[in-house]
Amino acid sequence: MHILKFRRFSLPESQVTPEALVFNRRQAMAVGAGMLAASPALAQQAGLPPAMRNTRYVPGRAITAEREVTTYNNFYEFGSHKTISAAAQRMPMRPWTVKVEGMVENPRDYGIEDLLARMPLEERVYRLRCVEAWAMVVPWTGFPLSALMAEVKPLSSARYVVFQTATLPSVMPGLRQSWYPWPYTEGCTIAEAANELSFMVVGAYGKLLPPQNGGPIRFHQPWKYGFKAGKSIVTIRLTDQRPVSFWEKIQSQEYGFWANVNPAVPHPRWSQAQERMLGTGETVPTLLFNGYGEFVADLYTNLQRERLWA
Amino acid sequence: MRLIGLSLLLLAAGLFVSFGGDPLGAVLFRLDPGILNLAQAVVQRYLLPMLWDDVLLPVLEAPAFVAPAVLGGALSFFGWMRARG
Repeated sequence: MHILKFRRFSLPESQVTPEALVFNRRQAMAVGAGMLAASPALAQQAGLPPAMRNTRYVPGRAITAEREVTTYNNFYEFGSHKTISAAAQRMPMRPWTVKVEGMVENPRDYGIEDLLARMPLEERVYRLRCVEAWAMVVPWTGFPLSALMAEVKPLSSARYVVFQTATLPSVMPGLRQSWYPWPYTEGCTIAEAANELSFMVVGAYGKLLPPQNGGPIRFHQPWKYGFKAGKSIVTIRLTDQRPVSFWEKIQSQEYGFWANVNPAVPHPRWSQAQERMLGTGETVPTLLFNGYGEFVADLYTNLQRERLWA
Repeated sequence: MRLIGLSLLLLAAGLFVSFGGDPLGAVLFRLDPGILNLAQAVVQRYLLPMLWDDVLLPVLEAPAFVAPAVLGGALSFFGWMRARG
């Protein structure tokens, strides 16, 4: 007996694209390639290798419109307001080097193209919760931080991973405020870095990550408030010293080291019980660990004396 | 007006003695690390982003004694002019 078994990639013959359309598409792509060669900006957009969506991480909410995500940004080096996207375009995205240093067996400098080629890229749709009580859902392209750690091999003495953002005074007006502790520094424990959710982001919406969102490479841990995610990263350092982050140095009572999302712990100046979705303006309840508790709650079982929620 | 001007000049002298050429922003940051961030957020989010970058930031970048010295000097001068009739 012949048993027909349906596989997820199976398609009926009726859904196969006609040959003529396929060849027309190739012609269109050839024209597009010519246009890309003529335009550096477009060519840069073409640089993101294809990545399959990882369906293990279900956001449970609709993806936020790309336009909202790319025009409403926190990037303090460019200002304290949300409309920094135009100013951020002045930041050169290539060449870009990420230095991995400190307590690792194999310290090295990665060119961004090298990272794109070497790392196992995938797309993950993650929620992002800002400490300012707004939120969005973004299809990020990137790779697990653990993949990078596997290459550089942290020493057993390493306890923390520190991320530093680029300092480019010629394009970042915020750096004129020399009294702040630049560069923007953030960090997490080595256990948090090894968690499967910890993600190095190089793209969004199937394109290279734009500068206003932290391009060409940023970090993201979706169970933490967004300020924990360093943008436009140039240095990743492994250390045995807990870093004091940028915002911790400025306002430690409001922005701590752990900064895990918790609706029951208010910010000193506002409630964290709810969040406003970018784009729709809908207000929804905030979830403990931003809804990722099943992946990360175990990280904190022995840390109850720490200030985990701010 | 002259009294306010003289007070500001005294303040400028005090700031110069205490902080030398340190920027006003650095002095304020030392006194209260969160105050400038809050001020910047209010100005850039609710008023006008350029007001911070182009007007207030140059004042904050200048030595702390400059703003009260300029303001105090101007008030003293105009006060003196007015007193002369």
